[in-house]
Amino acid sequence: MIEFQLDAGSGVATYLQLVQQVHQALQLGLLEPGDQLPTAQQVVAKLAINPNTVLKAYRDLEREGLVRPRPGQGTFITRSLPRTDPAAQTRFLGSMTDWLRSARAAGLGPDEIEAIYRTAFRGCFAEGVA
Amino acid sequence: MSFVIEASGLSKQYGRRWALRDCALAIPEGKVVGLVGPNGAGKTTLLHLAVGLLAPTSGSIRVLGASPADGPAQLGRVGFVAQDTPVYTRLSVGRHLRMGAWLNPNWDKETAEGRIEQLGLDPRQRAGTLSGGQRAQLALTLAIAKRPECLVLDEPVASLDPVARRDFLSSLMEIVAAQGISVVLSSHLVADLERVCDYLVVLVASKVQVAGEVSELLSSHHRLSGARRDAGSLPANQEVIEESHTDRQSTFLVRTSDPVHDPAWTVRPVTLDDLVIAYMSRPADPERTHRPQLKVTS
Amino acid sequence: MIRFTWLQFRVQAGVALAALAAFAAVLMVTGPHLASLYAGSAITGCRGGSCANAANTFLSRLTTTSPYPTVYELGIALVLIAPAITGIFWGAPLIAREFEAGTHRLAWTQSITRTQWLAVKLALTCLAAMAVTETLSLMLAWWADPISKAIGIGGPYPPGSVFGQVRLGSFIFATSGITPLGYAAFGFALGTATGTFIRRAVPAMAVTLAIFAAVQVAIPLWVRPHLIPPNRTVVSGPSFFQAASMSVGTLTATTVPGQTEALIVSSGAINASGQPVSTIPVACLSDSPVKANAPPDLGTCMASRGIREAITYQPASRYWPFQWLETGIFLALALALAGTCFWRLGRRRN
Repeated sequence: MIEFQLDAGSGVATYLQLVQQVHQALQLGLLEPGDQLPTAQQVVAKLAINPNTVLKAYRDLEREGLVRPRPGQGTFITRSLPRTDPAAQTRFLGSMTDWLRSARAAGLGPDEIEAIYRTAFRGCFAEGVA
Repeated sequence: MSFVIEASGLSKQYGRRWALRDCALAIPEGKVVGLVGPNGAGKTTLLHLAVGLLAPTSGSIRVLGASPADGPAQLGRVGFVAQDTPVYTRLSVGRHLRMGAWLNPNWDKETAEGRIEQLGLDPRQRAGTLSGGQRAQLALTLAIAKRPECLVLDEPVASLDPVARRDFLSSLMEIVAAQGISVVLSSHLVADLERVCDYLVVLVASKVQVAGEVSELLSSHHRLSGARRDAGSLPANQEVIEESHTDRQSTFLVRTSDPVHDPAWTVRPVTLDDLVIAYMSRPADPERTHRPQLKVTS
Repeated sequence: MIRFTWLQFRVQAGVALAALAAFAAVLMVTGPHLASLYAGSAITGCRGGSCANAANTFLSRLTTTSPYPTVYELGIALVLIAPAITGIFWGAPLIAREFEAGTHRLAWTQSITRTQWLAVKLALTCLAAMAVTETLSLMLAWWADPISKAIGIGGPYPPGSVFGQVRLGSFIFATSGITPLGYAAFGFALGTATGTFIRRAVPAMAVTLAIFAAVQVAIPLWVRPHLIPPNRTVVSGPSFFQAASMSVGTLTATTVPGQTEALIVSSGAINASGQPVSTIPVACLSDSPVKANAPPDLGTCMASRGIREAITYQPASRYWPFQWLETGIFLALALALAGTCFWRLGRRRN
């Protein structure tokens, strides 16, 4: 079983943080099909958050087809996520570093580079959601 | 839809002072409602009206569809934890539980005793010697063991240290998860409530400034910043909650149900904290008192 | 609610029981000896006219026999102040303490209406207060039975002493019969009602004491003697104007002839035409300058000049009508004050 943590300063909605932590655990292989997620009551007791927040996160995961509630028992993982390929991670880290170096060489400061990255990031993932 | 609190024209006057004025609310059942406002805004008055400790000067309030304090049955449907969690200092913890059992026909002895044991409280200890956090937990135990349909808490964590505060809110949320009851709790700090409530009521200067689902409030409020312009030039569907100007730049916090398309604006989402502070610092009556400049730190 | 009331009240109840027990112990120790003094006095076996003298002698000896006057005075004082004490320490904090500690918000949000809450609290605590005072009064009456019997035979004696008071007199009347019940109920309701207005225990206690004391002074002075119109009698004849039945200096009566236990409301000398006489005529004074013509004694001198004594009084037979009247009045006041409590709390404006 996994334990949820909250990052209060992240600005990310609480239920999204829970969803992301399940995703990460699946990607890292910490969770596998058949594993049980903590009950809403357990999460709430640990984090002092509204139980509806937990239920909302679990509903999102259910909609993605990752978990399924079993009445009277709890919520269980039904599907795993493909593990992140370490080689791919290394490759993208390399190309990102190259990009950053060239941006710096073009005379951009750290703030500007970060703003560009954020805009691109938001645009990219907003498309995905919409 | 059934409402946990339904009020219209609700007012309470003490002498010449209005503690609450023309309050209209319709809070759906099954929510954890945060009632936020500065000290003296009328939060306690509103909650006391809801549990029947006070009678309104005018207007009406219904709790779970009935008039508050309308006989023992209605009193049994609402659990109340008063501000500073009063207990009988000379009676022991165990005697408080017995009081609860004697005065509440639906008393849940197992829950009450289980909670006291879980909290590690000695039933023989006098309530007057408990710490603030323990006293709050005792008051919460008394309020939930009567098996209410709705729990009303007046500033339950204001006087608690951070650890006790977290423990108390955890207990409260566990109860909500287990029993699915409606909860109304007040605080003068939105940070206390941010994680736990899914419905928010902001009360300032005896008036309700805004009330609604937290998710709706967050998605309908935006912070716009861009070249300086006047609030009057904003579209009619954007209600200005807060504005600030420098000689070049204008920043607005607006409420609108429609997306903001104007490319001249940088649009940022707001946090619950921003939103509550904006409503709290808004003049009580925008039509009459115009406050031209508001300082915003960003 | 009954059990919870008891839970909150048991400490006070314990204190009251301890006080009752202590008082009972004092009376148990001294009571039997007092009874044996009475049995051994000349009253036993007296006949006719000698009985009154024997009773007077018994009482007059008692005034110098320690500790009886002290115990009697103490007992009377205790029964007199018991209603004030229960009013102050039980009544005044009953609701004021809840407001002060904020616990009214806990009490009134249980599954019980505050009318029920108040009804049970008021009724039980008030009954306890009444029981305590009346028990004290009955215990004192048991102890003082020989004294009452002696007064019944020979009248109150000696004048001015603790045994020289009639049953209708303010101290005895207020501490015997059923009036302690009325006072206890009134004192308690007064304290409780004051607490609902002042909402702070200590000030409410002070105000309760002040009002209760004022009432206890005002009632015997100005109200009680006039509840039933007093009887009036005019006494004439030389025998009355003697030191035993009147105080010579003021020409006021100390007893009503033939009515040893009557309560004198007012008295004064009048002349033949009914006009009040405030001083003894010069001719009747023993050191009169016209001594040569003076009659043999004051009484004859006064009688010969047509001076008589007019007395208004309440006969001793009215003891029970007065008891019922006064108890009724105080119980009615207590009910009105209890009603005020219900009204105050029912308005829900705290």
